[in-house]
Amino acid sequence: MAELVLSKVDKIYRSRGKKSVHAVKAFDLTVKAGEIVALLGSSGCGKTSTLRMIAGFEDVTSGTITLGGREIHTLAPSARGVAMAFEAYSLYPPLTIGENIAFALKAAKLPVSEADAKVKDIARMLEISDILGKYPSSVSGGQQQRASLGRALVRSADLYLLDEPMGQLEPQLRAVLRGRIKHYLREHKCTTILVTHDQTEANALADRIAVMEDGMLQQYATPAELKARPANLFTGTFIGEPPMNIFDATPSIASGEVRFDLGNGNVLTYNVSELSDTVTALIAKMPQLVIGIRPHALHVAEGPIRATIMSCQWLGDQTHVAADVGGKTAVSVAHDRVDLSPGSDVSLSVSAADLHLFDPSTGHAIAHGSDMA
Amino acid sequence: MDHTSTFEKALRGVLITLVLIFFLFPILWIFLMSFQTNETILRIPPSLVFTPIFDNYWALVTGELRTAAGSLQLDFMKNLWNSVLLSVCSVALSLLFGVPAAYAFARFKFRLGEDIAFTLLSFRFAPPLLVLLPLSLYFKSLGLTNTYVGLIWVYQLICLPLILWIVRGYFEDISPDIEYAYRISGNSWWKTFLKISLPLARPGIAAAGLLAFIFAWNNFVFALILASADKQPVTVGALAFVTASGIQYGQIAAAIILSITPTLLLALYAQRYLVEGLSMGAVKG
Amino acid sequence: MSQLALKSLSKSYGAFKVFDGLNLDAGSGEIVVIFGGSGTGKTILLRLIAGVEEPTAGTIELDGHDVSDIAPEHRNVGMAFQNFALFPHMSAAENIATPLKAQGKSADAVRAGIDRVAKLLKIDHVLGHAPRELSNGQKQRTALARALAAEPRILLLDDPLRNVDAKLRFEMRLELPRLLRQSGATVLYVTQDYKEAMALADRIAVLADGKFVQVATPEDIYLKPATLGVARLFGDPAINTAKTVIEMKNGMASAKVGGRDIPLPASLAAAAGRGITFGVRPEAVNILSPGSDGLTASVVAVTPLNERTVLLLQSPDGWEFLASLPASSTSIPEPETDVVVDFDPSGTHFFDSQSDERLHG
Repeated sequence: MAELVLSKVDKIYRSRGKKSVHAVKAFDLTVKAGEIVALLGSSGCGKTSTLRMIAGFEDVTSGTITLGGREIHTLAPSARGVAMAFEAYSLYPPLTIGENIAFALKAAKLPVSEADAKVKDIARMLEISDILGKYPSSVSGGQQQRASLGRALVRSADLYLLDEPMGQLEPQLRAVLRGRIKHYLREHKCTTILVTHDQTEANALADRIAVMEDGMLQQYATPAELKARPANLFTGTFIGEPPMNIFDATPSIASGEVRFDLGNGNVLTYNVSELSDTVTALIAKMPQLVIGIRPHALHVAEGPIRATIMSCQWLGDQTHVAADVGGKTAVSVAHDRVDLSPGSDVSLSVSAADLHLFDPSTGHAIAHGSDMA
Repeated sequence: MDHTSTFEKALRGVLITLVLIFFLFPILWIFLMSFQTNETILRIPPSLVFTPIFDNYWALVTGELRTAAGSLQLDFMKNLWNSVLLSVCSVALSLLFGVPAAYAFARFKFRLGEDIAFTLLSFRFAPPLLVLLPLSLYFKSLGLTNTYVGLIWVYQLICLPLILWIVRGYFEDISPDIEYAYRISGNSWWKTFLKISLPLARPGIAAAGLLAFIFAWNNFVFALILASADKQPVTVGALAFVTASGIQYGQIAAAIILSITPTLLLALYAQRYLVEGLSMGAVKG
Repeated sequence: MSQLALKSLSKSYGAFKVFDGLNLDAGSGEIVVIFGGSGTGKTILLRLIAGVEEPTAGTIELDGHDVSDIAPEHRNVGMAFQNFALFPHMSAAENIATPLKAQGKSADAVRAGIDRVAKLLKIDHVLGHAPRELSNGQKQRTALARALAAEPRILLLDDPLRNVDAKLRFEMRLELPRLLRQSGATVLYVTQDYKEAMALADRIAVLADGKFVQVATPEDIYLKPATLGVARLFGDPAINTAKTVIEMKNGMASAKVGGRDIPLPASLAAAAGRGITFGVRPEAVNILSPGSDGLTASVVAVTPLNERTVLLLQSPDGWEFLASLPASSTSIPEPETDVVVDFDPSGTHFFDSQSDERLHG
C-alpha cells in the first residue's frame, strides 16, 4: 500500500491536421495509502486519460506522478507496481480463466500452491469458481469482467487501477459483489483508483470521489460530503439519482423572514433563524439564486409549493413522485408506498436545512442550509 | 508526434518515386509511341524528344492504315463501339439480375444459400480457358457464335459474381430493423426495396457496376474465341495491327491509348467508390 | 373484447425453441410490459405481432380478428426499435411522415400529423435534421414520434430507452406513461429494467424459459412473486435467499435461517420436512436496537445506493445477506460492528426448493 500524488498533471493530445485536445488540465490529486478513490465524470471529462497516465499507457504532457514517494510518470508500465483491470477486460484468449487470473502470480514466481489458493479465494468471492477451467470466449461478458477484476486484485501491487470495473455485471449480483469487493480492498489495504461514469458505483465503493468535467477537478470529497455539500451546480446535479431538483429563485428579506420566490406564486418562506445570519446576509446581496433540493428532501405535504402530479411510480422499495411545478418537473422520493393520481393537485414542502443555494452566474455553491459553502 | 527523420522522409520519397516510375513508365512510353512513326519508335537509341504526329490516330479514326506495303482497311472504331456496347449491356444485365439476387442472399436464409453464393464466386477464379472449348462448341450448335447476345451472356460470368458479392455486403450492412420499420409504417415489400434498400445500398451498387464495367471491358479471351472481326472489342481488335508487313507499333499504341481512356477516366472519377466497394467485399466475405 | 390476444403462440428456429404456447390478453388502451432478460425472445415476440416474422404455431388476434394472413403493412401497428432504426437518408420530419404518407393522407394532413407528435415529444426544433445529426435522445424521440404519428391502435415498443444515457432514461420514464396514455393505444412495452416495468405497466408479463412465468400488476409481481426467479428479477438489491427446511418446533412451523429459527405461516405446517428457499427483500430487513431479540450479524461492508444505503451482513453460520436502509436514516451501522436484525413478514417469501414456486403463506 502506498500513497499516490498527482501534481499539476496536464495532458494535451496533439495530432497533425487536427486541433489539439486539452484532455486533463493542471490536475492535482492525493490518494492516501489504502484509500479507495473514484474518478467520476461523463465521457470526455478526462478520467480515462488520467488513469492511462497513471498506468503508463500515455505520456504526461507536464506535471509529476509519484507513488510511495517514487516518481513513476517516466517509468514503463511494468515498472510502476500497478495492477489494472481494463474496461474491455483484455483477458488472454489462449489461457483459461484460472490461468488468466494466475498470470501475474506466475510471473512473480509465487509457489504454485500459494498461487492456486489465492486464485480460488478470489474466484469464490467473485462467484466465478465454476468457470475457472473455461476459456474467455466461452463465458459471458459479466463473467469476463469478473475474471478481469480478479486478475488485477489477486496481485500484490502498490496501486490498483480499475477502469469501469462493474458495468457489465448481472444486476442481481451487483450489490453483493460491491460489498465483497469493498471489504476485500479494505482488508488488504489496497490503494485503489476506480474510473466510472456511473455515480451509483462511485458512491457505493469509494472513500472519496474526484468529480471531473472538461479535464478539470470539480470537487474531491466523500460521498456524504458530495451529497450534502456539493461545491457547484454541476456536481450537485451529477451526483444523486434521481437528480437534484433545480429552481430559479428571487430572494428577498423582510421583517425577520427570508423569502425565495420561485415564480408562479410559489414562495418559500423561512424564519431568518433557520438560515443563520451569515447566510442571510449573503443572500441579501444576490438579485437571483439557484436553489437545489434533493428528491428525498422534497416532501409531498402541507407546504408553500403548488404542484400537479404527473406520475406516481412505486418501485418496490421507494416511490418516485413527479410533479409539475409551474412548467418544471420536480421529483420527490418517498420510502413508503404513496398513492397519488396523475392530475391531482398537491403541495410540496422543504425545510431550510435541506436547501442548497448556488450563484446563477458562476454555478458555485453559496450555502447548504444554514452553513456557508 | 511525428518521429520520422528527414532522412526517412527523403528515403520514402525516393522509394515512392521508383515504384511510380516502375508502374507508370510503360503507360507513359505507349502514350509517347502513339504520337511517333514506326521509324521513330524503332530508332536506336530511343529518344524522348521528337516531333509528334497525329497520323496514327487519324488512321484509326478513318479506318485506313497506310503501311510500307500498301493500304489496309481497319475498323478500329467499330471495335471501340463493340466494347462500349458489350460492357454496358453486360453490366446492365448483371445489375438487373445481380442486385435482387444479392438481396435474396443477404436477407433470406435458404438452404444451400452459402454454397450457391460461393459457387457463383468461384466463377471469378476459374481460368476462362477451362470453359472456352466446350463453350465454343455449345455456341456453335446454338448458333450464338459471333453474336452480341452470346457475348453478353458469357460476360455474365465476369460481371455477375462481382455484383453479387459486393452488393450483398452492402445489403447485409443495412439493419433489417430499418426495413421492418418502413414495412410496419404501411408500405409493401416492393416499395421498401425500392425506397429503402436500394437507395441505402447505392454506393455499393455503383462501385460494383463500375468494377464490372472495367472487368468486362478488359476481357480478351472470350471475345477472341467466341466472336469474329465485326463483333470484337478493342482488346482483340488491337491484334489486327500485327500485319503481314510488320507490326504497326504506332497504331497499336494509339489503339491502346484509345482503349484504356474510358476505363481510366471512369476509375479516376470514381476511385473512392471503388476502394469502398472492394474492401466491402473483402471484409464481408 | 381484447384489443390484442396471443393464443398458444409458439416460435422455433429449427430445433431451437424460443417460446412455446404463449397466451396473453391486452385490453384496449392497456400498457402491458413484457419483461425478461436478454435472449428470452422479447424482440421476436414483437416481430411476430408486427407481422415481419411468422409464428411456428398459434394465433395473434387484433380486435378479435386473426391476423395470420395480414401483411405487416396492413396491421395498423406502430413500432419503435431498440436501435431506433431511423431511415438515414431521410430527415427527421420525413421519417415521421412515413406512416402518414403510406395511409395516403394529403400533404396538409401529413404536415399536421408531424407537427402534432413533434410537439408532443419536444423535437419540433430538429425536424429538418438528418438522423446522424441528432443526439441519442433526439433519435429515440424521433423513433417514438414515427411510431405514434399515424395514431395506431397497437403500439409496440422494443426497449426504447436501452441505448439512451441514464439521466435521459430517468426523465423519459417519468414522461412516457402520460405520453402513452394520451395516445390511447394498446401498448406492448419490452424492457429488461424492472424499475421501468413497474413505473410504466398496467400489467407485467414476465417472460422466462419460453413461457410467461407470471402476468400480473406490478404490485402483485413485487409483493406476490409466482416464482423465485420473478422475485429475484424485481428489486435492487435482489432478494436475499437461503436454502432451508420446514421443521416443526413446539407445534409451530419454523425454519432455520442464518442459524436462527424463523417462524413460518401456519399453512406451511403441513409441509414439514420439505426443502424450501427462504427469501427476504433487503428493505424488509429491520435493524433493531442492540440487545433486542433477533438475528445477530456482523456488518461486512456499507455501500450507499442512491436514496438508500446497503449493508452487506454475515450471520454467524456464514450466511451472507443484504439490508437496505433509507439513506436519510439517522444511524447507519459501521463496518466491523454487529447488529441485530429481524425480518418484516410483508417482504418475506417462501419458495419450494425444487420447483421454485412460491408457497402461499
